[in-house]
Amino acid sequence: MPEIFINGQAIQARDDQTVLQVALANGIFVPYFCWHPQLSIAGNCRMCLVEVEGRGLDIACNMPVNAGMKVFTDSDDVKAHRKAILQFITLNHPVDCGICDKAGECTLQDYHYQYNGEASLSRDEKVHSTKFYNLSNRILLDNERCILCLRCTRFTHEVSKSMALGVERRGDVSNIRPVEDRPLGEDPYSDNIIDLCPVGALLSRQFLHKARVWYLKPTPSVCPGCERGCTIQIWHRKPEWKLKALDPAQNTSIARITPLENPAVNGPWICNKGRDLARIFERRRADQAMLKGQPVELSVAIDHARRLIGAARHPAALVSTWGSNEELETFKARLGEVFHCFVKRDGQPEEGERIEDDLLIRADKNPNTAKARELFHDSGEPTFHDGTDLVLVWGEGFDFAKLPRGAQVIFLNSYLQPENGHADVFLPISIQTERSGHYTNFQGTVSAFEACFAKNDTVVDAEALFVALAAPARGHP
Amino acid sequence: MPGRQLIMTFPVTGTSHSLVEYRARGGYVALDKALRQMKPTDITKEVTASGLQGRGGAAFSMGRKWQVIVPDDGQPHYLIANADEGEPGTFKDRWILENNPHMLLESMLIASYALGVRNCFVYIRGEFDLPYRRLAGAVEEAYAAGYFGERILGTEFSCDIVVYRGAGAYVAGEASGLLASLEGKKSYPRNRPPRLTVKGLYQRPTVVNNVESLSNIAWIIAHGAAAFKEVGTPKSPGTRLFSVSGHVNRPGVFEVELGYPWMKFLEEDCGGIRNGRALKCVVPGGVSSKVLTATDIKDLHLSHEALWDAGSTLGSGGMIVIAEGTCMVTLLQVMLRFYHHESCGQCTPCRHGTGWMHRILDRIVAGQGRPEDIERLYYISKFNDGTTICGLGDAAGYACTGILDKYRDEFEYYIEHKRSRHDGNLECLRSS
Repeated sequence: MPEIFINGQAIQARDDQTVLQVALANGIFVPYFCWHPQLSIAGNCRMCLVEVEGRGLDIACNMPVNAGMKVFTDSDDVKAHRKAILQFITLNHPVDCGICDKAGECTLQDYHYQYNGEASLSRDEKVHSTKFYNLSNRILLDNERCILCLRCTRFTHEVSKSMALGVERRGDVSNIRPVEDRPLGEDPYSDNIIDLCPVGALLSRQFLHKARVWYLKPTPSVCPGCERGCTIQIWHRKPEWKLKALDPAQNTSIARITPLENPAVNGPWICNKGRDLARIFERRRADQAMLKGQPVELSVAIDHARRLIGAARHPAALVSTWGSNEELETFKARLGEVFHCFVKRDGQPEEGERIEDDLLIRADKNPNTAKARELFHDSGEPTFHDGTDLVLVWGEGFDFAKLPRGAQVIFLNSYLQPENGHADVFLPISIQTERSGHYTNFQGTVSAFEACFAKNDTVVDAEALFVALAAPARGHP
Repeated sequence: MPGRQLIMTFPVTGTSHSLVEYRARGGYVALDKALRQMKPTDITKEVTASGLQGRGGAAFSMGRKWQVIVPDDGQPHYLIANADEGEPGTFKDRWILENNPHMLLESMLIASYALGVRNCFVYIRGEFDLPYRRLAGAVEEAYAAGYFGERILGTEFSCDIVVYRGAGAYVAGEASGLLASLEGKKSYPRNRPPRLTVKGLYQRPTVVNNVESLSNIAWIIAHGAAAFKEVGTPKSPGTRLFSVSGHVNRPGVFEVELGYPWMKFLEEDCGGIRNGRALKCVVPGGVSSKVLTATDIKDLHLSHEALWDAGSTLGSGGMIVIAEGTCMVTLLQVMLRFYHHESCGQCTPCRHGTGWMHRILDRIVAGQGRPEDIERLYYISKFNDGTTICGLGDAAGYACTGILDKYRDEFEYYIEHKRSRHDGNLECLRSS
């Protein structure tokens, strides 16, 4: 444990640490663009220059720890150099924050205010380059904003291993470009480079000009795309900045999804599917309870379902792997004795979707299979007893043709689907973004998600529904 | 003849580069001596004792670089001859590659033996056509004669060589950029630590030496370190090849014994200044070294220590002689255009700084200079010094401040009058 001194403060460091890591771990901030804890050291932005007594300036991110070294992160020389580095970086940067999606969460913007604060020393024309360069059907590249920190190329080489990006030409006309025969569009982790980009060079086409980030609020959540259960942030309009004109649906829609760093599960990454949860959650919703396709009040439908359960002699239930731990436990506690339960895999891989890899993506496309299997019998395909007269189907992904003949059906679903009308009782339930809970991933790690929006009154939370269904039937038989 | 000669010892003819003639001049005797009579560590000791300094620009002690390598530590080592001669004004290694390639190959074999190298490389710039063909021919001859391959000269020592052609980036001449290029990547220089002698090519200990530096090894082993130290000055032993260009009557490559009087060299060997003009200044060792005025060099001797004392360096030996009446603003513009064009674009200060300086100079030359421009050039140079990964950014700054320090008045004149104080030409066409 070598002891080093940063700004006079004695700090115990480890031999395998760099000065930058030691400083950050001890609450001493050193600004940096290109360094990233999960990527190799590039040392090209030169923003983390610090002064070492007797050795002058060098970059902290590539500086090994030497016992007794005296590092200064705030000397006049360091400050002057940081200022100059920002002058160099902004020399050809368009400084178009006003129309840049990154504004508000841009490292360059923050550093400029904190460490430079001066207008450009140059009055010459800037070097121009391509804007809105199509990297894939998901990502646009603005080469003028790019500061060539090479985080994105390093990501595609070291993490996603798609090798999809490289640098073309040299000097101040170098550009990030896709590599021939290595389409970024086929990299299922490509969108991480948007988060990695310290400036607004890499832009999400989904999020392009959709919202200013300061009007948005991130709600911690869990991706239901597979049993990895990556922690994510769902960004949506802040309630205090609710839109009063325009389309009110924008107040309750998902603006974008970013990873929520979690060393236990996904590190700082998620896959592209996790960014596209709006495609799952914002399908047309079922918000009307029905009896054999006829709209009824929610309470009427619940009462009817309760009577069917009470009357059934051999009821079976298909339990959802998209249910939260709380819902699954409630079902088990309240209705587990009543029904013969099977685990149902709601989500199946879509065509063209990557099935499995060694980074994050898992073959089981459901968030809570682990908990469901722990609580209920998992036989793969449900095997109904002869004489099964009632089936409760919780969630999607079940082929109604496989229902036992003559059995009545209680169907709990969130989205508009043809099966809804075929069920004897249809009960609309809330979705993940409307309630809080936990998922257990395949490694047994439990992660929490929180509600982003309020649910519609005509829709019921599954947990409350199970409590209601288990209550003794009222009045008539 | 500027002093004693070690490399350019023979008249160049159409066949003087061949193996037969090289052997007739005593070639490959040193290799035989090294392999049969010396241990690898003896060779490194001999090279260290000779005081030989790198000839690529930094003049770092060869022996000290080699000492880092432990020849028998069980891991592969690599030796690379840096023949990516790209420093403007420098074309001395080209002479060796064209006219004495076997001297390089023999020296590389001895060096490989000393450093425990099984595979060595020559990284040659892509623009070198004749040098490449001569070198490739020499490699073929050497393989046929059994100097490369398995069990060389019947000893246990085996070594192979690969000649790799670069694609024309100046920055690939920087040792770590060269390695990146050799590995098949973009020639971005690398941050140190680790040093290349610890983790170089394919993450293995690697020695990268300039062609001329390496070529001295055969001579040192054949004649001994003591004999080498007798040539040159005590602090700069040996000779240097200078490629002289610019406004002299007899430009070309000259081998000069270190410590030789500079003006004598220019007057007698290079035939004096063209068109009878007076000497204005000299870029001593490639454009990355600071210019020295005629007064600066009047009593100087050509040695590393003398140049360091004068605030410049012998650099790569690319001497550009500039006659009185040459426009320094245009000269600096040309230099900065080069740095701008060759900056690899990896790290921030150089990527933007070289372009910034170039644009300022373009503007001054176009008659749109502004009074603050000179301060701005100093600012850019200052913050390129020591802040970049490799030396390119620093060198651009030195070239700029070197000229500004000494010819600031010309820049002020150009900015104020929107034209050059001289005729604005670099060619030195007329007599005054």
